[in-house]
Amino acid sequence: MNVRFDKIENKIKELLASYLESSGHPELEKHGEITGATNLVSDFTLDSFQVMEFLMEMEEAFDIMIDMNNLSNAHTVNELAKVVASLLKK
Amino acid sequence: MALLDKFASTAAIRDQLGADGQDPTDVVIDQIISPTEGLVGGRHTILAGTNNYLGLTFDPACVEAGKKAIEEQGTGTTGSRMANGSFATHTALERDLANFFQLPYGMVFSTGYAANLGTLTALVKTGDTVLLDSHCHASLYDGCQMSGANLFRFRHNDIKSLEKRLQLLGDKTENCLLITEGMYSVLGDTAPLAKIVELKNRYGALLLVDEAHSLGVYGECGRGVAEAEGVLGEVDFVVGTFSKSLGAMGGFCVSPHPELELIRYVSRPFIFTASSSPSIIASTHEALRQLRARPELRETLWRNANHLYEGLKALGLHLGPQVSPVVAVRLGTKEEALSCWNRLLEAGVYTNLMIPPASPGGFSYLRCSVSAAHTPEQLERIISAFADLKTQLL
Repeated sequence: MNVRFDKIENKIKELLASYLESSGHPELEKHGEITGATNLVSDFTLDSFQVMEFLMEMEEAFDIMIDMNNLSNAHTVNELAKVVASLLKK
Repeated sequence: MALLDKFASTAAIRDQLGADGQDPTDVVIDQIISPTEGLVGGRHTILAGTNNYLGLTFDPACVEAGKKAIEEQGTGTTGSRMANGSFATHTALERDLANFFQLPYGMVFSTGYAANLGTLTALVKTGDTVLLDSHCHASLYDGCQMSGANLFRFRHNDIKSLEKRLQLLGDKTENCLLITEGMYSVLGDTAPLAKIVELKNRYGALLLVDEAHSLGVYGECGRGVAEAEGVLGEVDFVVGTFSKSLGAMGGFCVSPHPELELIRYVSRPFIFTASSSPSIIASTHEALRQLRARPELRETLWRNANHLYEGLKALGLHLGPQVSPVVAVRLGTKEEALSCWNRLLEAGVYTNLMIPPASPGGFSYLRCSVSAAHTPEQLERIISAFADLKTQLL
């Protein structure tokens, strides 16, 4: 489980870096390395529309669907990885 | 004080919005002169952001209908329809709306926002699933979230993205509602409804289409994008508003399903809201008659839409993907957009400032909505103001 969780978390970090780069987001260089504790909103000032766009990138990468109502406690890369892990277990 | 601390960030945003001149969220139109012109800060201003697509707000028949209703029925209903009873004019409008859409059932709400909240919170519940286009209006999101249904988004107007989600749902598609708009309000693009209907039929889902911006604009008879795409009869619920083409305030839902009549009993935004005042119902009903009787309004609207779109395109501005009565000019940063919006207002042109997160793709827009009541001279003045803006700022 831990190995798999690490893989999920690493994949989300890659996706986030790629999303920031492709959307020309100015915060990537300033912030440096993305970690499990990286908060999409407070660290990268993604607005709600961009967060939703990034979640769709995640859905497609993991072939899952993320319920918009289950995201109130998922703000960091680590918390998002937990959401993905729980969906992949189903 | 902790409870109120949260407003500090809102105050900072407000101050930022007002830093370059007028706060775009706090514009006061001192005098409305016509559907397309007002006095703002003592200046004659062309109103290019009203959603008054057919220009009916000053139509003599609509104004007279509203006046007559006040004289004969009073200023308000003073309560909800369930508690106080419906006025005969409410039910007459419901029948006529359903008749206009060639559907058997219709229901009127006090606002367009309430129509979406009221329909969705009754229609889907915990255990049901909603697939929503990612560009849908906040009222559709809010209705879904309040309903407790599982809520998933698909990429805007992306049939593959929608079908992928339907596949992932497996046998849950029979409890699934698909939601799109007809014409989308920010960019003026339209949903591929014929393809979406094909999918909903194949997977056994239901479909709700919000035609708020497309009523009176699209379709041979002005019924909206579903009519234009030839699939109106296969849409399960059409919702919309009276506050755009019909020039008043309120909302509606029409449907081929008899269950719409039962929504009245379980829809809290319907049950616990005062019903629309007689003058609103009367002017809306008259505007619906005008919409049906005067197709030339739609022809003029589209001629004006082409005029503005082509004029702005010739300036080299980045516009929405298709000619539409909504003409959105894409800009860069919020600051740039705010500055441009202020310069246009100073030049006597009022547009809508759309900035993230309310606008898609992280871009900012100056959104124009064209009216059948705009004159060619007014449209040229709008284009000229954008041309000056481009020279000075862009």
